[in-house]
Amino acid sequence: MPSDKNNKIPFNEDNYTHNIERNNERKLDRRGFMKTLAGAAGVFAVSSLPWGAVAAKELMGLGEKEYPHKKITDVSKLAVGDSLEFKFPGDHDDAIIIRLNENKYVAYQNACTHLRCPVFWVKEQNQMVCPCHHGFFDAETGAPTAGPPRRPLPEIQVKVENGAIYAVRVKRYEA
Amino acid sequence: MKRSYVGVAVLAFILFLNIIFTQYMVHQFFYENYVNTLIFCGLNIVLFPIALFAYKKMKNVKA
Repeated sequence: MPSDKNNKIPFNEDNYTHNIERNNERKLDRRGFMKTLAGAAGVFAVSSLPWGAVAAKELMGLGEKEYPHKKITDVSKLAVGDSLEFKFPGDHDDAIIIRLNENKYVAYQNACTHLRCPVFWVKEQNQMVCPCHHGFFDAETGAPTAGPPRRPLPEIQVKVENGAIYAVRVKRYEA
Repeated sequence: MKRSYVGVAVLAFILFLNIIFTQYMVHQFFYENYVNTLIFCGLNIVLFPIALFAYKKMKNVKA
């Protein structure tokens, strides 16, 4: 049917949205829907990649960062049952070392896992105490035993060499 | 024109598996089972070529 619509600009049509109803371009047909589903599978595949990459990195142990060894103190200056505060790994990261017995040293970053108050070693009670809200931590493992904190203190690995104690690395902070 | 909706069902099922694997992957990651994370990541990636294959096979199928 010949039409002379195109010869009149604007042509007389009672439809203000005539330009979007062309060749069913807004209609999602079966094939278009399948295409969308295949595309969604692609998006899923691509978005899995970072998770796999980070998991592989963890498996290969690249997350275990070793800081430059830092001397804490001499063995002779830290009596059994005593504690000492130091900074590791940065200059503003408070940490505490406790000599539990002749050969056993434990060290933790001593910001309380509740609200980051400093945690102290109380020799008489044989445990670590956060005075702010009465949080208690087991000195052997750093695990919270009572009070508001729910997460263990991040442990610092120490090494004894030639009568001196060195901080080696910080174990992963378990969120 | 009659169409076959088998392809739609297959692709919808693949998407369903994608969602399940992604959920598992994220949870196993936070439980620090990194081997399982890698397995589900691999499954998720393998599903993409399968979905493409299913699309190519099914797009012109008529009932």
